Amino acid sequence: MSSSQLSNSGALSTQLHRFAEYVRGRRRRSLALIIGAPVLALLTFFVLPLLSMLWLSLHTETGASGEFTLANYQQLIASTTYLEILKTTLVLTVETTVIVTVVGYVLAYGIVRLSTRTNLLLLLVILPFWTNYIIRMYAWINILQPDGALSSILMSLGLLAEPTGFLYNRAAVLVGFVYVWLPLAVLPFYASLNNLDEDLIEAAMDLGSGPIKTFLTVTLPLTKGGIIAGITLVAIPTFGSFITPVLLGGTNVTMIGVVIERQFNEAFNWPLGSALGMVVTAFVILMLALSTKLGADLLGTEGEAQ
Amino acid sequence: MTGDNSLYERLERLAYARGRTAGRSGMALVFAYLWIPIFVLVVMSFAQDIFSFPPTDPTLEWYVTFLNNDDAIGSIVTSLKLALPVTVVSVLLGLLTAFAVDRYDFAGKQYLQILTTLPLIVPLVIVGVALVLFFGALNVRTGYWTVFVAHVIRTIPFATLIIIPTVVSFDETLEEASMDLGSTEIQTFKKVTLPNIVPGIIASSLLVFTISFNEFVFTFFVKGPGTTTLPTYIWSRVRFGLTPEVNVMSTVFIVVAGTLILLAAYLTQVEDITGR
Repeated sequence: MSSSQLSNSGALSTQLHRFAEYVRGRRRRSLALIIGAPVLALLTFFVLPLLSMLWLSLHTETGASGEFTLANYQQLIASTTYLEILKTTLVLTVETTVIVTVVGYVLAYGIVRLSTRTNLLLLLVILPFWTNYIIRMYAWINILQPDGALSSILMSLGLLAEPTGFLYNRAAVLVGFVYVWLPLAVLPFYASLNNLDEDLIEAAMDLGSGPIKTFLTVTLPLTKGGIIAGITLVAIPTFGSFITPVLLGGTNVTMIGVVIERQFNEAFNWPLGSALGMVVTAFVILMLALSTKLGADLLGTEGEAQ
Repeated sequence: MTGDNSLYERLERLAYARGRTAGRSGMALVFAYLWIPIFVLVVMSFAQDIFSFPPTDPTLEWYVTFLNNDDAIGSIVTSLKLALPVTVVSVLLGLLTAFAVDRYDFAGKQYLQILTTLPLIVPLVIVGVALVLFFGALNVRTGYWTVFVAHVIRTIPFATLIIIPTVVSFDETLEEASMDLGSTEIQTFKKVTLPNIVPGIIASSLLVFTISFNEFVFTFFVKGPGTTTLPTYIWSRVRFGLTPEVNVMSTVFIVVAGTLILLAAYLTQVEDITGR
């Protein structure tokens, strides 16, 4: 190879290199343009506010100057009231999640296996979910209030002697929670059951398993990801809820979300409210970590060919 | 065989013989649970008063009251003034994110996806409260614009998650073909790309609009005194006294939201078909 050829190919490769750089740079600039706006919006109005809540929870005065302190968290741990509220919240979350999981799975299973009108039934599940949250609670107030629909029906059946209210207790809150979160769990359950290869079920039956054994050893393990996803999607918003306990539980059922709302809108102890908010955030992180570890299928791709 | 085992086998036989019937009955019960409250709500919008179920003498009286209620109508107007621009902004941001996810490979792509999904997962009260203290720290007066921003944050995940499949399933070689045949990038986008992703855009617009129109928790925290949306108006009515008028508002709400969702469902199915 002569020296001129060498320098030629060197020049060519430099030019090619420059061209590649130009294209890459152009793509990088257009990428920055494309994601700039959404990323900026989310960082400014979602991430920063959450960070400022964390920061405020470590101070004692609103608008806080001064030292970092754990005083708010110490106040939470020292007080039996807050621990009691935390316990109520946890118990209601667990109860809601268990009921929603069982009932939702039965429904999803039925939609996939026992019916041919899948789309219609799915719509019947989704439509109530898209109805306004407060209106869905109000629908239950209509039913559970003294002189409401349930009381009237039970009286006309002779099961009740006089008008009775069923509102403002734990059971009412539980009914409300199950009602609002059921559709949310049915969707991932449906996705994983729908993606399950039915041949596997037939194979198990052909080899002599009964329906129960087939369900426990084939269907259930193979839809685990969807089940964990559903549990996560229900447990997190239940833990942080404040509308349902306020409307259906009244002053008798206090959950952590209710206390946070009060700290901000009535008691004006924002640092303490922020600390409570961080407790909920910790629960969210814990649930997400746990569900990822257990193989949650949050996108509903379980069983699909990769 | 032990007695335990035979009990198990009896159960298996029972499940085999009665399982389907039991499953179908269970489904029927759950659907009743999901729909009876909505049915009662609608029926009670025709009642004389809130305490007479079933209504003996159906009346449209409360519909008239609702139409003459300036506060209620005003709150609907406010809700529309929010939901319409929120839809435009959120769908645009969702579209941008979807293009970035589909067309580009870059470090931190998964973080972008996590970032756009997170507002969906963190409990609403937490973000609502965080926004209040964030705006407070910046000395921003709460009102229309703070609610607007909150609604955009609330709806970005939905817009993005619905648009991504449309953009991903769009065949990019069509764009190349168009450019090869001499179209400019802008012409190609207008004549090839856009028409193909329109069903996804419409579906996500309908859902974003519905969510914004329904939004309560964020609005409740960042609305300030002057901005009352329909959900916050209903909240104040529900907390302080019940009348069939609230049932009327709820019924109107259900009909409007239901129509939009059915439309969106129909359109996304269309998109599914064209995507294959």
